[in-house]
Amino acid sequence: MVESKHKWKAWIYLSPAIVLLLIFTVWPIINTVRMSLLEGYNSMAAVGGATYDFGFGNFKQVLEYNYFLRCLGNTMLLCVLTVPISTILALLIAVCLNAIKPLQRLLQTIFFLPYVTNSIAIGLVFAAMFNMVGSAFGGENEIIITAGIINNVIEFFGGHAINWINSGSSYAANVVVMVVYIVWNALPFKILILLGGLQSINRQYYDAARVDGTSRRRVFTRITVPLLSPMLAYVVITGFIGGFKEYSSIVGIFGEDMGPAGAPGRLNTMVGFIYDSLSTQQGRASAAALILFGIIFVVTMINLYVSKKKTHY
Amino acid sequence: MKVVLQNLTKIFPGRNKKVREEVIAVNDFTFEIPDGKLIGLLGPSGCGKSTTLYMISGLQKPTAGKIFFGDDDVTELSAENRGVGLVFQNYALYPHMTVKQNILFPLQNLRGADKLSKEEMLERAENAARLVQIDTLMDRKPSELSGGQQQRVAIARALVKMPKVLLLDEPLSNLDARLRLQTREEIRRIQKETGITTIFVTHDQEEAMSISDMIVVMKEGVIQQIGRPQDVYDDPTNLFVAKFLGTPPINVFEGRVEGGRLFVGADAVLDVPGVADQAVTVGIRPEGFVPDENGPLVCALNSVEVMGRDVSVVSTHPAAQVPAIRSIINTDGGLPTGAEVRYSLKPRKVLLFSKADESRIRFEVK
Amino acid sequence: MSANNHVTMHERDMRRVSSQQTVGKIVSKVLVYAFLILMAVIVIFPFYWMLISSVKSISEYRLSVPTLFPREILLTNYIDAFQQANLGKLFLNTLYVGLVSTLLSLVITVLSAFAFARLEFKGKNALFAALLGTMMIPGELFTITNYATVNSFGWINSFKVLIIPFLVSVFYIYLLRQNFMQIPNELYLAAKVDGTGDLKYLWKVMIPLALPTLISITILKMMGAWNSYVWPRLVANDKQYQLITNGLRNAFTDSTGDVNIPVQMAAVAIVSFPLFLVFIFLRKYIMKGVSRSGIKG
Repeated sequence: MVESKHKWKAWIYLSPAIVLLLIFTVWPIINTVRMSLLEGYNSMAAVGGATYDFGFGNFKQVLEYNYFLRCLGNTMLLCVLTVPISTILALLIAVCLNAIKPLQRLLQTIFFLPYVTNSIAIGLVFAAMFNMVGSAFGGENEIIITAGIINNVIEFFGGHAINWINSGSSYAANVVVMVVYIVWNALPFKILILLGGLQSINRQYYDAARVDGTSRRRVFTRITVPLLSPMLAYVVITGFIGGFKEYSSIVGIFGEDMGPAGAPGRLNTMVGFIYDSLSTQQGRASAAALILFGIIFVVTMINLYVSKKKTHY
Repeated sequence: MKVVLQNLTKIFPGRNKKVREEVIAVNDFTFEIPDGKLIGLLGPSGCGKSTTLYMISGLQKPTAGKIFFGDDDVTELSAENRGVGLVFQNYALYPHMTVKQNILFPLQNLRGADKLSKEEMLERAENAARLVQIDTLMDRKPSELSGGQQQRVAIARALVKMPKVLLLDEPLSNLDARLRLQTREEIRRIQKETGITTIFVTHDQEEAMSISDMIVVMKEGVIQQIGRPQDVYDDPTNLFVAKFLGTPPINVFEGRVEGGRLFVGADAVLDVPGVADQAVTVGIRPEGFVPDENGPLVCALNSVEVMGRDVSVVSTHPAAQVPAIRSIINTDGGLPTGAEVRYSLKPRKVLLFSKADESRIRFEVK
Repeated sequence: MSANNHVTMHERDMRRVSSQQTVGKIVSKVLVYAFLILMAVIVIFPFYWMLISSVKSISEYRLSVPTLFPREILLTNYIDAFQQANLGKLFLNTLYVGLVSTLLSLVITVLSAFAFARLEFKGKNALFAALLGTMMIPGELFTITNYATVNSFGWINSFKVLIIPFLVSVFYIYLLRQNFMQIPNELYLAAKVDGTGDLKYLWKVMIPLALPTLISITILKMMGAWNSYVWPRLVANDKQYQLITNGLRNAFTDSTGDVNIPVQMAAVAIVSFPLFLVFIFLRKYIMKGVSRSGIKG
């Protein structure tokens, strides 16, 4: 048939993709494994003729390195906090959106809006909203205490202003800001997927449940959630993968110092750690990248295993 | 429990916002369904039969009119408080639950005084499953069942809470031909055993005729005729009902009545005493043709199809509205051969309809 | 209890039940709307705050009781922002990188997807599976080596370093291949019989049919250029080649003193505006692409 004559053609069509993939995808995979196994590898020095011992030294060093553990801890903390919060919130919003008719499209559009934003740019807005320090730029009768709408609101309700992100702020306050920002960023995608899932559930299941006098609560827990479980699993898995790769949202709020003034690196993450060591200590960066890959792989597998058990139908 | 529908009307607002055209799905439906009977709502798609069923279930609210279960007005009551069992066309079995969980589900919804103990629930679920003969499949998921088995599970789920009324929406449409025959007998048996007033919707006249105590023929939201299946078949009130019931369908001819005799084409084919002179539409049931060498109706013979006991003769006639006339004859008199076939007609199988409004014109049969 | 009595009780019961239903329904509708509107306000508030802050004077911005509607609209902030962050140059750079990389990427993606969807060759399935496998690996793992690679190529601070390494997206190839597969093979065979060449067939039949997917890819790719931050920061810090996000982040963090937040917000608004425009006009394609990808940008 047609195929035999054109075998070589396929490779011509594929050649640009294959060449680029070999250079920028395949080689990096091999090279990362190689570098991670050469103890203390540095590519600049390697070009200069330095040699390195083969072994797991990089992994050992990284895992014993307090700063790496802190980055790992930050990443995990943000993951564990933001994934459940954003998933539950997105589920609630999606269920409510699915239950209304007037305003549905408008609200749907609003909820999707954060998706099309630049996380660095909007990070600056959040930073401004959580800001605290103000200085004497006001007019004559204008008293300047704080300059950040969040603190203004807190004070309006009689609370005390909190130092969220500025110099001298607490780790807990920093984490709260990050969780708010990451959840805000994560909602649109999750709502989109879950709402799509809800809309594809056959209405007859709900009619059947109604005829049988099922309470709203039971409809939600026994019908909606189980039938939505494939989408929930998808959203949770992608949420965890995204969470372990968290980086630019922190840059958005705290800048490249990855922490408030006076405490740089306090909120650094795995990815941040990799970027920090990328140009000087490639052995260490490679080991960290492989550890990140391992964690993502394991988490994905666990999620798939659990969701397979729960969504089997 | 008898079910009374009083002037039931359902109007859907038009889809097209500019034109604001309303669709009257069900128009002034009044009917009393006697207790413990099996009723078939029959009509072509879009005739409002499903809407009527959903209004009885409470899933849709009527625009006007009332619904009574026994003496209770349930019009304002929503579905969950009506105590009906509903079997959906696609069964709507919960795909993530086993057969047992599906059947138990309605029972677990009961609260307050009606609440059942675990043992009672299980017992009732098992009874329902036995009734529809799926008690050996209790731990399967719906995806592991055949269409017929899913259908039974859906019926068991509807029956388990002992509904006052059982509603079935196109119960057989998703089954293959063989299963359909078997399942409709099954539905009949279950209905007889439980004695629950049962209403089902179908577009298949054979299905409705074969198992219903009564059928309701609908067209464009309006009831055409209500009665026992055989009565409706033998004595339809209008051309629509006559055409809709019967396989093969009734053969329709142009005709006229002159001096108490019915003419089809140039031939006087039957005496129709008491009918005024007028042009009419003539319907002749396939079994109304009797091959007769001296018969008045002369048709051009097309083909003869032998189907075992009966023989189906396909012929044409210039006055026929249909391209082929199909008659069912018995083979006692040998098979018709040659270029033409002559028939005499059985008077009870010949139906006359007004040209003006397609209503039935009755005549005396000697 | 007489039968009569029973009936009346029953009726009263039913009336009570049905009125409870109506009240319950209204209450829950109100709660649902209240929740949704509250959440919508929270979601949209940062945008609102960005907009109103961007037109406030610095003194108004710093009031202890903030104004929810600006007293005067100071559009000069936008001019300041444009100049301070050198947004004009950044816009052009980003547009250039976005357009060139989208175009080249589309060509590569279409050719590869066509090969995987329509042509038969040895090892096709194995190769495709291997490609899909690479999607599991976090991009950061590639960055380490790619940084060294582009360094050794001498590409640092150039446009090609921003374009070439990301031209091939396995995900887009996958997406388009799935789309191509839905086009009946008979069309291709018929074209062969008629003597239509592959490329002509691709151009005349497959591309028009797969247009929605191609539009989705284009939008996501452009948005990717607009939002990319990490890689450009590594390899193109020179003002000559900087992209918009980096420029924005750096323009207001270089100085150690006070940041003029209204001007900063004006810059953010300028950067966000094209994204909103794209979103408003091409919402359908974005949502379609996104719901299948699960990857941001």
